Amino acid sequence: MTQQTQMETINITTDVLVVGAGMTGVKAATEIAASGYKVVLIDEGAGLGMTAGALVADLDGDEQAALEALVESVNESNMIEVMTGTLMDGTAGVPGDFRVWLSGNDDIVEKSVGAIVVASELVYSPLNEAYGLSLSETVISQSQLEAALSENPSAFAGKSVAFMLGLAQDGNPLVLERVLKSVLAMENMDDTSAYVFAGDLKVAEDGLERLYLECRDRGAMYVKLTEIPTVVQEGAALSITYDDPVLQRKVELAPDIIVVEEAIGADQVNAALAEMLKIDVGSMGFLQTDNVHRYPVSTNREGIFVVGGSRQVKKHYGALMDAENAAIRVRNLLGDGTIVVPANKAVLDTGKCTFCLTCYRCCPHGAIYWSGDNKPVISAVACQGCGICASECPMDAIQIGEFNDTDMIDQVTASAAENTDNEPTIVAFCCQNSGLEAARMAESFGMPLPRGLKTVAVPCAGKVDIDYIMHALAEGADGVMVMACHNGNCKSEKGSLYAGWRAANAQGMLEAIGIEKDRIGFATTASNMGADFSSILMKMEETLKEK
Amino acid sequence: MIVAERKPFEEVRAMVKDFKKVLTVGCGTCVAVCLAGGEKEVGVLNSELKIARRLEGNPIETGGVTVERQCDMEFLEELDGIVDEYDAIISMACGAGIQFIAERFPEVPVFPGVDTSFIGVNREVGWYEEKCRACGTCVLGMTAGICPVTMCAKGLFNGPCGGTNKGSCEINSDQPCAWHRIHERLAKQNRLQNILDICPPNDWRNQTPRTIVQPGYKERLAAFDLK
Repeated sequence: MTQQTQMETINITTDVLVVGAGMTGVKAATEIAASGYKVVLIDEGAGLGMTAGALVADLDGDEQAALEALVESVNESNMIEVMTGTLMDGTAGVPGDFRVWLSGNDDIVEKSVGAIVVASELVYSPLNEAYGLSLSETVISQSQLEAALSENPSAFAGKSVAFMLGLAQDGNPLVLERVLKSVLAMENMDDTSAYVFAGDLKVAEDGLERLYLECRDRGAMYVKLTEIPTVVQEGAALSITYDDPVLQRKVELAPDIIVVEEAIGADQVNAALAEMLKIDVGSMGFLQTDNVHRYPVSTNREGIFVVGGSRQVKKHYGALMDAENAAIRVRNLLGDGTIVVPANKAVLDTGKCTFCLTCYRCCPHGAIYWSGDNKPVISAVACQGCGICASECPMDAIQIGEFNDTDMIDQVTASAAENTDNEPTIVAFCCQNSGLEAARMAESFGMPLPRGLKTVAVPCAGKVDIDYIMHALAEGADGVMVMACHNGNCKSEKGSLYAGWRAANAQGMLEAIGIEKDRIGFATTASNMGADFSSILMKMEETLKEK
Repeated sequence: MIVAERKPFEEVRAMVKDFKKVLTVGCGTCVAVCLAGGEKEVGVLNSELKIARRLEGNPIETGGVTVERQCDMEFLEELDGIVDEYDAIISMACGAGIQFIAERFPEVPVFPGVDTSFIGVNREVGWYEEKCRACGTCVLGMTAGICPVTMCAKGLFNGPCGGTNKGSCEINSDQPCAWHRIHERLAKQNRLQNILDICPPNDWRNQTPRTIVQPGYKERLAAFDLK
């Protein structure tokens, strides 16, 4: 470890592909081009800023003007190549050297790009069916209302309009904001009355509570319900019967128009994009897992970024901020077209490699591919050095930088064999992102720790080889503890998972041998949890002393 | 590839219980690919043995070597100087490799560390499926690429039998009927005639070890007096 780490310089492609030319995609393309990189901006649809989900209708005047200015700047830029009616058909390669195949207009073109930004937009779908209603002239969706309001607001003069929200789905500030803006527009017209039938009103967005109060002061009536009211729709005639929570009796209302809320979801195209790009899909079809290390715009793969509605339900300003963040990340990665990386991050011994594909299949970062001469290649740019591949390799053919097997086994052997005053020897494999920091904290704060504790650092719990665990016990350790990161807090997404599986596997081996399986422990912790580390290890010591 | 499974530890422990110094030999080809007998598994088995024997108060010394392929003599040669230092060998190779080691070192007891299971394919990391029984008479051309010897419980060359049951086999509703699948795929390829053609029976009688000398090699072997 005293050796200077050898660095290598890699030349990379600096063009960037942006998938999706909605508002977020257009913004991302503009920002990236402003950093001096050529951008290929593709969209399935026919124009810029107009993808299916990007409902221009809900943009207010300023936002609309800003979008138009953005579209204009894209059209005028000689750094941005716009390809409409175009889909991504396939991808290969690694950050700095991706190849993408783009299909459209009966043609497939191959492009070489250094980074990819996915900017699919949110998709809104009306929930009229959940309310037992059919869309008609008098039952309309929020988007339809916004379009009608921007086209001819006077059509609503003198009407009574009932909004339904937060009853067919959980309340959502984004849904509420759009509803309240429409309510206010109604209340600003003569003789128009607005009723809001709502479950929960979620106001956790800037200015939303003020907007709610403003609507109320102007005369909007809010009715808080716990379940969907009975709505009768006969042709254009509408009637709503509900249990009024204030009057404590049934009330009937016959509005001229009912506006139903919309569900906000991920674009279905995300699933296909995720498969092509080998990126993890999070909840509800969004392209980011619930992992703090992914925020704001990262994925499990270096060089592939997700922005705006492709990763989360976001307001417009949040999506635009994502686009700016992606541009910063792209700049950090692509720089001046060269990247300097440690040469020994993960080194493959091609002589030992039996080409079983285990590493390729296990790598959570999509960093392993294979070359024409049928040997796996680990991209030094994409590799995050977690060591999951090395610990899964059946031939120990992959060595991770400063954590190579020979040094690790030496350290395990020495740790296991050391005896402190006949106290139980515990070898604790500690992820350097969590367990190791927690151990240092426990030590420097003078928290109790087993006297026979020997910590062995690993770059990620994913590097804890089952061979290391068994070797520690074979060489005299009384117990082994694997300290990994909490679920959703692993930088390599699956490192803690792999470590947990291996610990369980090793426990099974102990049982087969005929000794207590709790000589092997697995726990998750965080870097700031020294007390937690202390109590886990003290408990382990207690368990071992009872034997 | 050939797929194997690590033997239960108890079985391995019992086999080597009388030996003090054991060499575990991995194989870097099929059994490494199927995660049963490569360098990693050699290390783990040795640790298991050490832990168990220390507890018994009868410590064992182990060594580990993983060769490229145990089914080639040249790769076994590297064991020549090493084997003498040990009382016994555990081979983690398939049955062929184990026998080849036992043949090369006839004075040393050789024990299997794995159970050789089948010739199969890799569905995912750690997940394998049997595909071929090495019957020596491949009929896959007639059966739409689905092996009836492996897939059909009766190994029928001409099927289905009366036990086909809505796509399943009569032995178990979870077991698909090979011949049902063959019929489906042949129909898709518009060559159902193949199922009507009779496949002549395989000669399963008096099975003895098979030897193959590839065409063109008889003369070569004879010239060097090798066979």
